[in-house]
Amino acid sequence: MFDLDLRSRKPIYEQLVDKFKELIMKEVLQADEKLPSVRTLARQMTINPNTIQKAYRELESQGYIYSLKGKGSFVQASSEKVSQEELLKVQEKLKAAISEALYLGMKRVDIELLLDEIVEMTGGGIRDDKASGSNEDFS
Amino acid sequence: MIKLQEVTKTFHKQQVLHDITFQIKGGSIYGLLGSNGAGKTTLLKIIVGILKQEQGSVQIEGQQVFENIDVKKQMIFIPDSLYFFPHYTIEQMAKFYQNIYPSWNQERFVELREVFGLNIKKKVSQFSKGMRRQVAFWLALSAMPAILVLDEPFDGLDPVVRRKVKNLLIQDVADRKMTVIISSHNLREVEDICDYVGILHEGSILLEKDLDELKADIHKVQIAFRNHVPAALKNELSILHEEKRGSVRLWIVRGAETEVSKKIESYQPIVYDLLPLTLEEIFVYEMGGAGYNVENILV
Repeated sequence: MFDLDLRSRKPIYEQLVDKFKELIMKEVLQADEKLPSVRTLARQMTINPNTIQKAYRELESQGYIYSLKGKGSFVQASSEKVSQEELLKVQEKLKAAISEALYLGMKRVDIELLLDEIVEMTGGGIRDDKASGSNEDFS
Repeated sequence: MIKLQEVTKTFHKQQVLHDITFQIKGGSIYGLLGSNGAGKTTLLKIIVGILKQEQGSVQIEGQQVFENIDVKKQMIFIPDSLYFFPHYTIEQMAKFYQNIYPSWNQERFVELREVFGLNIKKKVSQFSKGMRRQVAFWLALSAMPAILVLDEPFDGLDPVVRRKVKNLLIQDVADRKMTVIISSHNLREVEDICDYVGILHEGSILLEKDLDELKADIHKVQIAFRNHVPAALKNELSILHEEKRGSVRLWIVRGAETEVSKKIESYQPIVYDLLPLTLEEIFVYEMGGAGYNVENILV
């Protein structure tokens, strides 16, 4: 399914959480899709099942997945899953990048132009499932 | 659940274990770490009931272990130096295990033959060291123990077999909640499969924690300030270790990541980097704090 870096300093459980978030945000895993069971994933990836269990609990508490008793874990529909915490993180990253840009001599106008360009490209962050078309193969 | 309470053990008037108290949850993979001579093997032998503690109690699911067949038949210990009967083939050893362990699963034994690919008609003594260790795992896993205790289990196994064995262990943990205790001084070897670790030092448990929590609680910080390092900041943080590298300081800091970051950022460092520690580094710094002179060893 995906590979983790077992030699990395980052705890395996954090890597798992981040990986699943990425897959969910990029809609590789779609709303209401079932996540692999703890047993299957443990087996496939040679990871301690307790670690996977913990990662799933964390994803659930952050609102990325929900679990049904006896059935497993499923991806939460998109509108409900953007957590405040995640927004704050992105803000921090933006702040850092913008300060760096200003330090390197970029002007406010340049940044505004860049912003316009990005908004143009992504359609202003408004999610439109019909227009995206990227998931046709799965439907 | 394995429960040890105030266990002590003395050999030749020398106390090897002092007041060991800890618990291991069912279905967990517990890494028992420690320096050479810390008492790991002695502790394992007490857990499996080969040695008897002088004081304290060892209980598995509420029952004493020592000379208790009911408990011992659900438990397998693979020691550091393996023992097989001389002249026995793998097949004969398997028969012996089958007689001893009521939970023996012949189907599993046959299945695992594909995995290990060793000739069961051959005498165990004719195999190499690493192959004999594979035989030990093969027999142990076929006996379907509830608790598997391993002393330096990966010594002498090549990387492919090591991965195979780890995978088999994980399958049993996932499928039937087997509890595994692994002692090792090779931290990288246990870092990727254990969920809980205990560090044993000079016969006492120095530290015992969920591995991810342990990692989340200690960080490596690289930091530089425009002028002096603010003394107030150093007081606010719990710094285990400090190194100077030119104008950049390297700190080992204890505490939650967000809190540490908040404190540090309020002093506006010009360089600031926070990294998690590897288990090996945690071990070195914790042991250093306990008076185990690490630097002398690393020279």
